[in-house]
Amino acid sequence: MSDQININVNGSKIRTDSDQLIIEACEDSGIHIPRFCWHKRMDPVGMCRMCLVEIETPRGKALVPSCTTKVSEDLVVDTESEVVKKAQEGVLEFLLINHPLDCPVCDKAGECPLQDQTMAYGPGESRFVEDKRHFEKPIPISEIILLDRERCILCARCTRFSDEISGDPLIEFIQRGNKTEVNTFPDEPFRSYFSGNTVQICPVGALTSTSYRFKARPWDLKKVSSTSNCSSMGCSVELNVSQNKMLRILGEDNEFTNQGWLSDKGRYNFEYLHSEKRILKPVLNNDSTNEISINESMELISNEISVDNNSNISFIVGHNSTNEEYYALNNFAENLNKVNKDQNINVYLSDDYLYEGFFQNTDLLGKVQDLDLVDTIILWAQDIKDNLPTLYLRIRQAVKNGKKLVIFGHTNTAMKELADSYFGQEIISKNLEFNVEISEIPNFNELINNKNVLAIIGKSSPIQNTNPISNLINYLDKNSNLKILNCFAKGNTFGALQNIDLVKGLNEFINEFDSRKNNIVFTIGSNPVNSSIYSNQIKDKLMDANFVVSLDLFKNETTELANIILPTTSLGEKEGTFTNLEMRILKQNKILPTPGSVLNEWEYWSMMLNKIDIENNYESEFELNLQLCEEYLDKDNVPSFDNLNKPSNLDGVLNSKSINIEIENVEPGTLEILFVNRLYGDSSTQINSPSISMLGAERFIEMNNDTFIKHNLSSYTVNLVQGVITLQVKIKINNHLPNELIIAPLNRRGFRDIDTTKPYELIEVKNLEELSVN
Amino acid sequence: MSWDNELLERAHKIIELYPQKRSALGPLLYLAQEKDGFISDDSIVEISNLVDITEVQVKSVSSFYSMYKEEQTGTYLLSVCKSISCEINDSRSVINSVKEFTGLENYETDQDKLFTFEEVECIGACGGAPAIQVNYETVEGLTPEKTIEMCEWLKNDKPEIIVADQLQNKFGGTQSFDWAIEDNTGSAYTVPGFQNIGTAKEKDN
Repeated sequence: MSDQININVNGSKIRTDSDQLIIEACEDSGIHIPRFCWHKRMDPVGMCRMCLVEIETPRGKALVPSCTTKVSEDLVVDTESEVVKKAQEGVLEFLLINHPLDCPVCDKAGECPLQDQTMAYGPGESRFVEDKRHFEKPIPISEIILLDRERCILCARCTRFSDEISGDPLIEFIQRGNKTEVNTFPDEPFRSYFSGNTVQICPVGALTSTSYRFKARPWDLKKVSSTSNCSSMGCSVELNVSQNKMLRILGEDNEFTNQGWLSDKGRYNFEYLHSEKRILKPVLNNDSTNEISINESMELISNEISVDNNSNISFIVGHNSTNEEYYALNNFAENLNKVNKDQNINVYLSDDYLYEGFFQNTDLLGKVQDLDLVDTIILWAQDIKDNLPTLYLRIRQAVKNGKKLVIFGHTNTAMKELADSYFGQEIISKNLEFNVEISEIPNFNELINNKNVLAIIGKSSPIQNTNPISNLINYLDKNSNLKILNCFAKGNTFGALQNIDLVKGLNEFINEFDSRKNNIVFTIGSNPVNSSIYSNQIKDKLMDANFVVSLDLFKNETTELANIILPTTSLGEKEGTFTNLEMRILKQNKILPTPGSVLNEWEYWSMMLNKIDIENNYESEFELNLQLCEEYLDKDNVPSFDNLNKPSNLDGVLNSKSINIEIENVEPGTLEILFVNRLYGDSSTQINSPSISMLGAERFIEMNNDTFIKHNLSSYTVNLVQGVITLQVKIKINNHLPNELIIAPLNRRGFRDIDTTKPYELIEVKNLEELSVN
Repeated sequence: MSWDNELLERAHKIIELYPQKRSALGPLLYLAQEKDGFISDDSIVEISNLVDITEVQVKSVSSFYSMYKEEQTGTYLLSVCKSISCEINDSRSVINSVKEFTGLENYETDQDKLFTFEEVECIGACGGAPAIQVNYETVEGLTPEKTIEMCEWLKNDKPEIIVADQLQNKFGGTQSFDWAIEDNTGSAYTVPGFQNIGTAKEKDN
């Protein structure tokens, strides 16, 4: 901890940390210093000179940029003197030499720091009569980001973000002096998973996103804080709505989770809410012309579930429900069991990466913040950059601050450059097992022995023996001071685990499905027929089932097989709580009206119970929330709505429940293909969000160069052939992969039918050039 | 792969001189300019792979410094100083004579790709003003007449290697400082002749 010192700002005493910058110290004490380039999550550069303040030095008073000057004992600062005002006026007059006065057509106007600060600190009029700079406008620097260069004031926030924070510097200053502009390299667009953050931090309207450009004026927006369910990180967001339409999602600075940043998926995956294809009324037998009323649908379902025989009722749940909805579902299942003891009722979570995890010893459970506190970070899980993008940013930052990172293969190759030790094919086999004893791994013991270690642990592949993971955890537990972050990446997975008594996996669904019984299957916000490696088997079972009910937003491969589709609500349309991967419970808020005859999931469960004459004891999310709060282990800080709405708890509260997962460990045989989930895929929400729908279209596989040579290929476009399946794919070379293991995206069209344990062939696409010429 | 093995070998030797790869960026850009007469996008891609930074970061540096040319230069780059000392000593007439002889305006290259003309800020030859650089080899104490003579010589003789001392003896006048050591190394491209990166060439007498 740094020492506390006193400084004097505008005549009043301030107590502050000795390692702070003047601008930070003033901000903490409520004294605002205008700025453009300084951002509290990035290194200072002193580009814009807007934050000039006067300090007393041995040689008299001097103007210094407060964003690059540290405080010192008894420093005297003046942020409002005549000299400072004159300097601010000068800086603004210079910035406005080339900044166009197109505020009436600029998206930023109304929330523009340049506009606001010109009003507050500017000279009022300009002495410049010369022509301003002109550029072609706007130029697309990626599929989703547009750039108006003449508006840019060269604060370098976007270029610094892409270099320091996200680590993919694809935009930079080009040229010099008054010709300086931000741009990309020709044919090398700003394809970053985090590009949307640059739009949010741009202090002018130079960077805009395709989804928001010309859509609204900031003063017309209705705003509410919420939690993104893009990943289990639970990023804090602000939902912006105008005329009952979601128009924008902004990142909010939550010290414990995303620290203000969002992935582009979390930021731009919202247009589906207003898609024409959304289901707005209950549908019978997947026939759009056959819409029925909610009452009719409840009637039909209750008839099925109240049949007095020993039926199998299965719930396949997704990861986008709130804790309250999972709780209501659990309550529904419990009540069914009470009525009819013969019924066999099970809940399955639709995530192939689910396994039993490490929840038994709650003392071992780590927090995201531990990244900044431990000595060594161990990572062996699915691809973090694609599945938990904001956790990737936190790991990057921790490594930058000197933490050691150890990665075990083979999914996180994108992070190899960050790692102190990367254990690839010498240590980890193609089957994700250890080639050597853990104690014999070179240079490993000194990184962990008696050190504080945070292990981010999960399955790397949908099919994987989890014993090696357990062995690693046991070894770490013995030799280090261990904390564990269980790495299930999808949405509110941890909310489901906390609020459903017993959770099983999709493989269990297939194994426990007994076609001799009366099978009733509910799928809830999940599309297992498209997103799982067990797709084909699940499809067979669903076709075999006597009655299938799908609760979903869109028609998809699963709802096709449903007898009844019930439309549900999504982000911004429901109130509830969300549990992230460190068991931090955060609030999701409602700002949109529910469209059509759409109901929340819990309302359906409640109505069904009523139909079969079971009294339910809740009537709102609020009551559900109060009930589920009773089960939390820490009674003093329960995540009730009231508690979470307190200003001190806006960042969420940590609390746990007992977690029961029952999943059989599968022997994989030999892995030929390693499936990963890419950030962008073919989920129905993404496909129905026009701004980002095209980002998940490319089909590619990765392999190392030796494998490429071994397959005797000459072109990078090939057909991947396995049995009757033929997929045209692009090959990307990734030399961190082991020999003869290829990586394929599970969530892109066509890949789900491939069996990862069976051999495949790569066949060159003949006459490709002729085809493209024609 | 637009760079041949010989150039790549030189590049790797340069990279070895520095503790970090990206520190070699400056010299590598000179290699690129030696190859094409300007910094081509292909070379930028090549360099970004060599030093492990992104293409746009290379482009950012190459477009910042005016000695890395973005457009094709001629065989001879004539950089005439227009800064204060030269201006006082009538560099204007030297500039005009070059303009007249070549028919070029500032930053232009002729059709034969023989001359590129540019007016530059101080080239550190104030004691011998007015001064001019031919492919970054400096001549001091010029007159308009001598300047035209020099241009004619370049045009007719088309010397492969430009050496400052030789130019100075042939066309120069007052010199800032005489090192009194005959230096036969010069530049063969529109790149400064540096021995450590191999852009300097020795001329036989």
